[in-house]
Order: sequence, then structure tokens, then C-alpha cells
Amino acid sequence: MIRKELVAASAEPLILSLLAKGESYGYAIIQEVKARSDGKLQWTDGMLYPVLHRMEHRGLIKSRWGESETRRKRKYYSLKKDGKTAMAKHHEQWSLVHSVLAGLRKEKYV
Amino acid sequence: MFDLEKSIGEWCKQMLAAGIQTPVPLEELEIHLREEIERQMKSGLNEQRAFEISIQRIGQPKMLDREFKKSERSFMKQILKIGAGIIGVLVGMAFIMPAAAQCRHEGAMAKDEVVLYTFGMAMCFAGALLVLQSFKRRKA
Repeated sequence: MIRKELVAASAEPLILSLLAKGESYGYAIIQEVKARSDGKLQWTDGMLYPVLHRMEHRGLIKSRWGESETRRKRKYYSLKKDGKTAMAKHHEQWSLVHSVLAGLRKEKYV
Repeated sequence: MFDLEKSIGEWCKQMLAAGIQTPVPLEELEIHLREEIERQMKSGLNEQRAFEISIQRIGQPKMLDREFKKSERSFMKQILKIGAGIIGVLVGMAFIMPAAAQCRHEGAMAKDEVVLYTFGMAMCFAGALLVLQSFKRRKA
């Protein structure tokens, strides 16, 4: 299981990246993150919503109420222009951290 | 006998008591809870067990409320800063305009008006800076 500090720090880039594929809703976002990380990246489900609301207040994403195929009410979130810019910044920063770590790891085993 | 609807109703009451706002975000959380219960039941659990696991996954009401409040507080802070900035610009303009009109009319500014003009310019600049910074921070 991944440490909670890292889970919290990765929430925004993950949400932005998932929404870049198309609009989605809270439950689906959680399920997709779980599936893509083989269950290793797990949020306390309810904690996703304050993060989504905060991102909406900051103008990174927007929301609309809609209905599922089974006519269940759902709140759908989608990416805004500022969200795309924020996502690009996140990718750049996380790639940098990843490349530094990978470089150090390689040096250790050379 | 376990009553799912009654239990969900009780859970909503606990969320409200903890301070979670209604209709949003409580409605959003309830929708999530119902989807999770449905998924747990499809995997073979009975209603009661599915409900118990699902409310655990959603998290403690107090903890959720704290997080929502954090997000609301930071939003309100930004709004207040933007409001204060706009007021600053308007007050600044109220000082600049009469002094500028006087200057246009008489060709020069009296010492007092120069002070008012400078003060107005400073207010406008500070107000505009506050608004710009608030927008910048909002997106950061």
C-alpha cells in the first residue's frame, strides 16, 4: 500500500489526467485509480469530493448534474482550460522527480 | 431485520450532524454510497454487510466535514481578497478623479491634491495587485 502523503499529493494530477480522457464522476474516478494501480493507490472514498470541490473552486474543473444509463443522478466533472495547463505542469514536475529517482537508482546499481 | 433505506437515512443524519452541507455535497456522497453498496452486493455480500463496508470506505463524518470546510475556507478567503482588491481600486479612483479633474481645469495640482492623487494611485495599484495575486493563487 502506498503512503497516505503520496496518495494525497498524487490526487490532483491523477484526477486531472483522468478527466483529460473525458468527463467522469466521483465513483468512477475512484474505481479507475484503484484498477490502474492494482488496488495499491486507495483513497478514503469520501475524501475525493473535497478535493474535487477545491479544484472546481480554483477553476481547474467544472461540474454538471446528469443521469446515468440507469437514470441515477450523478455529478459529472470535466477539465477546464486552466486544468489542462495545471495537468501539464504536474506531468513536468512528476517526470522530473521520476527521472531524478531513476537516475540515482541506476547509479547505485552500476 | 436490516432496513437498507432506513440505515442510509440514519447515515445521512449523522453526516448532517457532523456539519456536511446539503444538498451538495451530502447528495453527492449519498449517490456514491448507493453505488458502492450496489457493487458490494453484486460481489455477493448481503445488504447489511455491503452497507457496513461502504460507509467505512466513505470515511468518518467529522473527517469529511473538516476537509470540506478547508476547501470552503480557502474559497471564501480568495473571494474576500478579490472583493477587497476591487474596493481598493474603486477607493483609489475616487481619490484620483477629483485631483485629475482639478489639474485639467486649473493646469496644475495643489500640494494637497498631489498627496490625494498619489494616495489614490497607491490604492489602485495595491487593489489591482491583490486581485491579480488572488487569481494567480487560485490556479496555482
